[in-house]
Amino acid sequence: MRLDRIVEELGLARLTPDVVDEQDVDIERGYASDLLSDVLAHAPEGGLLVTLQVHLNVVAVATHAGLAAVVFAAGRRPEGEVVSRAAREGLALYSSPDDTFEIVGRLYALGVKGRRA
Amino acid sequence: MNVCRADLHVHTALSPCADAAMTPLVVVAWAVDEGLDMIAICDHNSAGNVAAAQRAAGDALCVLAGMEVTTAEEAHVVGLFPDAAAALAAAAEVAATLPPAGPDYAAHFGEQLLMDEDGREVGREGRALALASGFTVEEAVALVHRHGGLAVAAHVDRRGFGVVAQLGVFPHHAGFDAVEVSPHAAPGSDAWATAAAYGLPVLRGSDAHRPEEIGAARSALRLAAPTFAELRLALQAADGREVLDA
Repeated sequence: MRLDRIVEELGLARLTPDVVDEQDVDIERGYASDLLSDVLAHAPEGGLLVTLQVHLNVVAVATHAGLAAVVFAAGRRPEGEVVSRAAREGLALYSSPDDTFEIVGRLYALGVKGRRA
Repeated sequence: MNVCRADLHVHTALSPCADAAMTPLVVVAWAVDEGLDMIAICDHNSAGNVAAAQRAAGDALCVLAGMEVTTAEEAHVVGLFPDAAAALAAAAEVAATLPPAGPDYAAHFGEQLLMDEDGREVGREGRALALASGFTVEEAVALVHRHGGLAVAAHVDRRGFGVVAQLGVFPHHAGFDAVEVSPHAAPGSDAWATAAAYGLPVLRGSDAHRPEEIGAARSALRLAAPTFAELRLALQAADGREVLDA
């Protein structure tokens, strides 16, 4: 599923516009977790992360794990320093007013699978 | 008795997320400049720069040995220890549970610089200090106590890495000696009141990762002298020692 379509279908707010060309990013898998050690160990490379955590380590962990995009759930938004760091790293950040369950359900319905599906 | 101005949560360049300018000497110089009588060096999951900061300080101010443990639940627990040796012994136990810092680690998380008192790099920490240790909150508190230290629930008002944010409620059973609030929680604020309601002494720590943040939040302590033993008495509100609300 192309990232620009995901953003459109889920009504995500773009926190790092123009950092990636969303039309060129294909998201096949996703992961949802609020424990970053778990994200680092299990998130699928090239995938999308849904999380409540908004601190700077999210960017470090997401780039280390090779993730393509992060969606902050439940209306959470990181501070400017986190956004600028992500922009430098080429990591796309989004925010959604929906909770994690809702976001993941809609992603699944769009064809984005979990790491083992 | 004197009123001692203390910032008991300061990082150095050993913490991957801290400014490389945070050499032991720079930290001490800024703390003195800020009029602090006591600071604690609390790097993530390590105490490797504590002794250098203590040597850099000499008699200028008291530098307590500390460490900020990231628990398995990704909550931050600050340990304040009687001396650098105790902090290092506790840190060795924490390090044994951390993965090694792989080849791309520093590019994503930052450098982990071990330094001498003059700010010269003497090595790099090989464990991934930015990640969660194997210690649960309860185990981290017990670790600190086993090494003769005081356990502080770091920045309990914060959503990221605070024990309340990570666990949902304050873990009264863990046996913390104090709670710490961030610079955002001024005395009298709602965040301060929430922290005070946990029933433990409330410390204010800057959690400084950059020189200009040192002393941005500080505690006023009534002590006979700025020492670890006196701090312990203040947290117990014993013998006229106490944590003042300012």
